Amino acid sequence: MSTQAHASKAKRVPSKSVEIHIKRRANPDSPSYWEQFEIPYRPNLNVISCLMEIQANPVTKEGKPTTPPVWQMNCLEQVCGICTMVINGRARQSCSALIDNLDQPIKLEPMQKFSNIRDLVVDRSRMFDHLKQVNAWIELDGTHDLGPGPRMDQDDVQERYAYSRCMTCGCCLEACPQYDEDNYIGPQAIAQVRLFNMHPTGAMSRDARLEGIMQEDGITNCGNAQNCIKACPMGIPLTRAIYEENRETVVHGLFGWLKK
Amino acid sequence: MAIHLSRTFVLRKLHQLSGIVPLGIFVLEHFYTNSKAINGAGAFNEAVKDLQAIPYILFVEIGGIFIPLIYHAVYGLVITMEARPNNLNYPYPRNWFYLIQRTTGVILFFFIAFHLLHFRFGLIPGLNPTSVAHRPDIAFEIVSRGFSSVPIFLVYMVGITATVWHLANGVWLFMVDWGITIGERAQRLTGYACIGFGIFLLLVGINAAVAFIRPGGLLGGIL
Repeated sequence: MSTQAHASKAKRVPSKSVEIHIKRRANPDSPSYWEQFEIPYRPNLNVISCLMEIQANPVTKEGKPTTPPVWQMNCLEQVCGICTMVINGRARQSCSALIDNLDQPIKLEPMQKFSNIRDLVVDRSRMFDHLKQVNAWIELDGTHDLGPGPRMDQDDVQERYAYSRCMTCGCCLEACPQYDEDNYIGPQAIAQVRLFNMHPTGAMSRDARLEGIMQEDGITNCGNAQNCIKACPMGIPLTRAIYEENRETVVHGLFGWLKK
Repeated sequence: MAIHLSRTFVLRKLHQLSGIVPLGIFVLEHFYTNSKAINGAGAFNEAVKDLQAIPYILFVEIGGIFIPLIYHAVYGLVITMEARPNNLNYPYPRNWFYLIQRTTGVILFFFIAFHLLHFRFGLIPGLNPTSVAHRPDIAFEIVSRGFSSVPIFLVYMVGITATVWHLANGVWLFMVDWGITIGERAQRLTGYACIGFGIFLLLVGINAAVAFIRPGGLLGGIL
């Protein structure tokens, strides 16, 4: 949503070629460097089709042969999140970044908040660690038939559906001015706490999840810059999730001793 | 099960709370007392005298102002050092507010240190060697003399503006951080309310300062 709004402001260049600058790195221990490429323009190009073009003929704009650039991709329809990179300064999916909507030269960088493995590939396993830290699942173990689950309010179903659309792409963490070197668990995991705490069965392990977001890297490190909700390609109400969990941590965490 | 409270969680919650209670409340009291200057030197001096007559004033000042103030200021700087601003790539209002909240915080760290030494303790020899709090009989005169210097007055204008921004936005931040405001509409409405509160507070704060160099403040002789 927001990325489209941003893109519509960009000037459309009816050029015959597309100039792309890629921030590259050969391996995790080597320094990064920029390379410039130019490929012929054709209608309906997106960033990934440009990268494929460069990969097929890895020669820089100056005519120097180089290694083919490396990136990750899978679904090509902005559902899996794996092709996320920083395009002209903003984190977004490269599959849905249309060349016609982008300012040229197009600058491609790997996400900076995750460790860079090679070229545009980053290691995003931290987000999986965060999900484990907050018990982002529902305990359903039982050898016998547990019967149908409890009924849920339709409004809750709608809200949970929004949170369930998270594809763990990392745009919210990349855009967050508080998230750096894993000092803050970030909106992605907090929204999943909301998702599972809203579930009638999931609510039974609510306190374990709250403890997960109340650690040293927890929810209080949020600085309310609200870039997450603008950067989220799935339109997830991330600030709402954070503030709902602020309430839960205050009521059950901070004031929990008043019930003892 | 009992939820374990981590050190960071408790420190951040105390930081958020201390900005409203007692510091925010104190700013309101401070602006109220300053505004007495609109009624003239006598009224202001009387107000200073009354404040000094508060029972257990030493404990009230230390426990209610100095300790929370030092905590909020020092821990605020720690939080500020965590910031990795990215406003040029993500130029949204709340992201600017995020940066301005930290910028005003740093400004206030130095302004309030100066302000305390200047008027509360009277420990800046070249500028003012007399504590306002210890000399209620000439309190108005001390401030008036200080404000007669244009650079000093401008420093106070910047300080008052930074204080008002930091408090008005801080009220909004407190409400989301403590889970009082949640939804987007509520965030917007409380945002407007805080802007209104901030404008009101800014006018009151500046008018009170002006009242020390122009009898009756900005509207002196009109109202």
